Amino acid sequence: MEFPPTLFSSYFGSGPPREEGGPAPVAGWGEHGQVLEGGPGRRQVQPAFVPRRGATGERWEAAEAAAVPVLLPSADSWIPSPSPQDILYRSSLCKELRAGESGATLDFPRQLGHFFVDHPEDAFGSLGRLLHKNFYLGNSKLKVTVSRNSTIRMTALLEDIDRLEARRGCPRQHLASRLRWFSHLCRDWLFEVPLGLLADCLHEELVQQWSSLLFDDSLTGGALAWLPPEDGGTPVGRLVHPGGQAMNHLYFQDVLLEELPRARGSPEQFELSGRIRQVAAARVDGQDFVGVRSDYHCGVWRVSGKTGAAPTPLQVIRTDVPASCLTVSPHLPGELSVCTQSGTVYLWSVETGLQQLRHDPQTMFFRDHSPWRWSDFTAHPRVLSCADRTGLQCLDARAPKRCHFDLFKVGEEAGCQQGERVVLPMYLGKAHPSQYLVTTQFSVYVLDERLPLVPVLKWAHMMKAPPLFAQLMPGKPGRSHKVLLGASRTQDLLLVQYRGGSQSACQLAGTPQKLHSITECLQHLPTQLPHRHHLLQQRLAAPAAGLAAALQEDGPHKSMVVFQLSEAGDVFCQRLNHKAAQPPAPPLRDEATTAPGSSPLFEAPASSPQGLGAAALRYRRWLRALSRVCREPPQHTWPPSLSQRRLFTRRDLEGPAGPSSLQRQMRQRLRQTMQEGGRIQRWEPWALQPPPLPQTLELAGGPDPLSARLTAAWAGDWEQWWEERTSFSVAQRQRALRERRRRQKRARGRRSLSASFTSSLTYQSELSELSDMGPSLRSPGGPSILSQRSSPPACSPPVCSPPPSPAPDEALLSSQSLRCRGIPKERRKTLRDYLSVWAEGPPEPPEPLGSQASQLCIPSSQSQLSSASQPLRKRPRMGF
Amino acid sequence: SSNEHKLNFRKSKEACLSYIQDALLQKQWKRAAEFLTCYVESLEKDYSREHIGPSEIIWRIGSEILWHHSQSSMKEFNCFMEQMKTLGVKRYLKVCLEHVFHLLCNGQIDEAYQSLSLAESWRFGEQTAIQDKEMKLIQAYRGLLDYCSWSKQKNILLEHGEDGFSDLAVEQEMHGYFRKAAVNLKEIIKIPGVWDIFVKCYVDLLEFYGDHNEARQVLNEYAYNSKFPANPNAHVYLYQFLKRQGESKKSLISALKILHDIVPSHELMIDFNTMLQKSKKRKKRRLGLEVIFAALDYAGWKENAKAWSCLARQVKQIVVSEKHLDWIKQQWNSRKDWWPAFHFSRYLAKRNWQENKSLSYEKALVAGILLGKDCKYFKYVSHQGCKAQLRRFRMLKKFVNRHNTVCLRISG
Repeated sequence: MEFPPTLFSSYFGSGPPREEGGPAPVAGWGEHGQVLEGGPGRRQVQPAFVPRRGATGERWEAAEAAAVPVLLPSADSWIPSPSPQDILYRSSLCKELRAGESGATLDFPRQLGHFFVDHPEDAFGSLGRLLHKNFYLGNSKLKVTVSRNSTIRMTALLEDIDRLEARRGCPRQHLASRLRWFSHLCRDWLFEVPLGLLADCLHEELVQQWSSLLFDDSLTGGALAWLPPEDGGTPVGRLVHPGGQAMNHLYFQDVLLEELPRARGSPEQFELSGRIRQVAAARVDGQDFVGVRSDYHCGVWRVSGKTGAAPTPLQVIRTDVPASCLTVSPHLPGELSVCTQSGTVYLWSVETGLQQLRHDPQTMFFRDHSPWRWSDFTAHPRVLSCADRTGLQCLDARAPKRCHFDLFKVGEEAGCQQGERVVLPMYLGKAHPSQYLVTTQFSVYVLDERLPLVPVLKWAHMMKAPPLFAQLMPGKPGRSHKVLLGASRTQDLLLVQYRGGSQSACQLAGTPQKLHSITECLQHLPTQLPHRHHLLQQRLAAPAAGLAAALQEDGPHKSMVVFQLSEAGDVFCQRLNHKAAQPPAPPLRDEATTAPGSSPLFEAPASSPQGLGAAALRYRRWLRALSRVCREPPQHTWPPSLSQRRLFTRRDLEGPAGPSSLQRQMRQRLRQTMQEGGRIQRWEPWALQPPPLPQTLELAGGPDPLSARLTAAWAGDWEQWWEERTSFSVAQRQRALRERRRRQKRARGRRSLSASFTSSLTYQSELSELSDMGPSLRSPGGPSILSQRSSPPACSPPVCSPPPSPAPDEALLSSQSLRCRGIPKERRKTLRDYLSVWAEGPPEPPEPLGSQASQLCIPSSQSQLSSASQPLRKRPRMGF
Repeated sequence: SSNEHKLNFRKSKEACLSYIQDALLQKQWKRAAEFLTCYVESLEKDYSREHIGPSEIIWRIGSEILWHHSQSSMKEFNCFMEQMKTLGVKRYLKVCLEHVFHLLCNGQIDEAYQSLSLAESWRFGEQTAIQDKEMKLIQAYRGLLDYCSWSKQKNILLEHGEDGFSDLAVEQEMHGYFRKAAVNLKEIIKIPGVWDIFVKCYVDLLEFYGDHNEARQVLNEYAYNSKFPANPNAHVYLYQFLKRQGESKKSLISALKILHDIVPSHELMIDFNTMLQKSKKRKKRRLGLEVIFAALDYAGWKENAKAWSCLARQVKQIVVSEKHLDWIKQQWNSRKDWWPAFHFSRYLAKRNWQENKSLSYEKALVAGILLGKDCKYFKYVSHQGCKAQLRRFRMLKKFVNRHNTVCLRISG
């Protein structure tokens, strides 16, 4: 292989990097770097010079305005990986995270709490069983029995905890003494695992999760591979990608490279036992070898070159430490190299097994804490490169201890900056057998292993996140090599061109070009409903997980198809067409950028007879499939507010399927008023008929006590009414109580402890506690919280969910609505009492006389209501 | 408050920069230029303490835009660069250098020379290490341009010399250029680095004036000083110089031996091999075999017919003479577990036969000798060759069959 006769000039220093570094937003622009004599006209009178950077490159233009989905979303719903919101303490989220990543406060208590709730057996197993009898979870006061001395009531404690949660972030937060007392008492013995140890482990895990959120190097290399079609055959290649809910299914999908790549047939599928981190592929002797890496397992498949041939799994290895790298040899069939986080490099041959080349937990050139290691092949099939964050070394597999040389060092040799670290090394053998690509968070380097340590090309890539994926598309002689760089978190995709390496020195060609990222297509999609938009946004903005590219030459027409995989398992692609060197024609979308919503994607192109572009149709189908998959929107975590869970279960608060009669009435009224152009002065439904006519109420099923009372008072015989009522109600109440006791006795046998939770008495006591909570409860915002909770997004799509009820308390209070919400009779009263705290005793419509067996309780509830409406009276208690 | 103002200003500045960046990455030069005119405001209130200040940002982005903008001219670019030079003292030399590069690439050699001379005379306070390096580069490039002028004059003189006419003034001018170039070029090549172009020019000057000792010293220093990177070209230049000087085979071989040690895959290894094969010494012939085997280890040499024919010739020689079979055996031992798959697979036999018959002939010969007549590669190629009724392939088959016992001894 030829070596360039002259190289670009550069200084060569040694030692640690001297240049002070930092993210430089524009460091890659406006520089030629160096020049070299020897352009095309060397023997001319005037010497010609060529620059290291700034030579003209090939023109590639995107065919579509956005990346287009290749495959339909898989049927399994996607579990997003943890977001900062899950890990960080809430108040610190408000500040921008970039202020200092180390300054982030991890939400340790919440996670520990999650652990206790999710794994109670592991957390409290044996002691929990031992103490089972001594913890009382009911709401009622403990009776004076034998157990009194050895049983404590946990409910109050739980309330305290809830209250604490509700006051989170409140400046006047104080610890409840009861909680302090309890934790002081049992911190040392209650837990199955010693709390200190558990906390250490959890903290370690949290820190690790957070750091992987900032930079996840397990994805290095990318989990997407393209197996190109054989030369001259049909343009059907194969896409190898992970999928499934846990990304543990490996798919081999035939893809037809048309104007828009299209999946053909159903994919070959393999289920693996771990999340797929990396998929690497290389073609040797007409066969593709596909290496797949998950944390503790690596596997290799063989796909013969014929189209339609089934992939054959060849071998699997298991590692004790997570593997960080798997690369496939481009020279010899069935050879791979594997690195683990413990610093071991293996040459893995399917025929002969594993050969350990190096084991060194320390980094090579200076100390760096990262356990990440990488290895790849070089121009010599027996020489492997191995890399850590500090640089690259080449080892001879035949004598790894003796024969090695340094290929790249983070230091003055390559003109690095302080703090610069190797992110992804890649062998560029397809472009030039001795070239190597090294990316760091700041720059990309092209190295020639014949001239180690001195990069033959260096360019500051200015990407916002370090490029974890790279893809090479070699150019034929005389044309430029194309390198695609991809970042994970930001989905950045950059196309860089370079040429040279044998007859002439390496040069960057043209300017770098940004390609569409997956998330950018959002602005081209038709407007969505807000929650759908949010879902879509979340889905499309999932970090990238892989990158693959195919170069297609069809006579004079050359194009490149770039595939991008997201962590949600979506594969998107975009096509770039090569424009032959023309005088700078006005670029298509140069001056006018597309405004959101109005997209060329969804405009009917003149050439297309169907009216809509193929891309738009593809999107339609994808969106439809996605909406099927994501029928269940994720549960949103609201900021903690006052918990009403003690009063109502979720089921209690579920709204009726359709709008209630009250709502219908209100809507009708609203519509009517709008038609008339009038205004609504009072929102009560009764305001329709200003004087509340007793007749109408009677029609609804007998007068309610209040209107009966008022009618009586109006007529002047109020006293008589009262007499009648008390005598009636005492008798009725006694009857009801007797009945209830009988029922309770009958039921006691099969009732568990917690079932006593529903007894009305507890609610009384709770109510008294609640009313002590102070004015915040009485705030007018209270009921609206209730109404929000009454329509949880899970049960009915918000499209048809009723608008917030105009008078929630009334709506809630009406017995029909309470019953149809499934609230048991004995709790309806408590509910009404509770609500009466905020709304001044709304009139109670009488219970309709149903034919239910529990009807006997009605009088009692009525009497209690009457007592509630007369606050001066002592509240009736059970067994009075 | 002013603090808030600063914060807002910074935010809008950053937003503007990200728009520019976006436009640049999408090759929307006009849009980028419009945003840049807004960004210039950031110069007025430069509160930043960042690694790259706004003046550098404007210089970098501005020149990038002017390179590509359809309506920009060289004049505008020069004007912009002059302004940028005055904008930051610390970056003056760097901007000058980049300006010169651009002028050179656009063929404006004289303007570049002027610009270099101006930059060279620039002084400001104490120079930092980086500025020192930049100044050295400026001087070196001026030396390079002086060399260009020198070689132009030289060509004129040589042409005129053929006419039997010499111009004293031109000659004197040429000598002047020589002196200026030599001083500057000599300086930079003392510093560790990759200075291929400067070394070549300097050696050319020295050789023209007959200072061979100095040239040899310069080249030796460039090749063997351990502070310099292991640049294969340094050894190539030395070898070429020695060859020009008509040096002995021995010194040529020793120069190439070192090149072989650092870059076994260098293209000069073919020359080295032929040189060694011709040698009468056994040791050198043995080294020759080692060199060609080592070169063929590399993926870049896989289809190099010349290298394969070198190997085939030498291996055939050894087999015929039945002397030094152990040389082959020793080389083969470290390769027998991977060369068959790397070079002699059936797939490659097919492909080589289709693409390059003479390559497949040489490879088949080597495969037949190293792996015996049952080797897949040999079998396929000899079969195809016999089918196509090519005489040399029939000969090949006969040869391998005849020497099969020898082959077995090697592979065994």
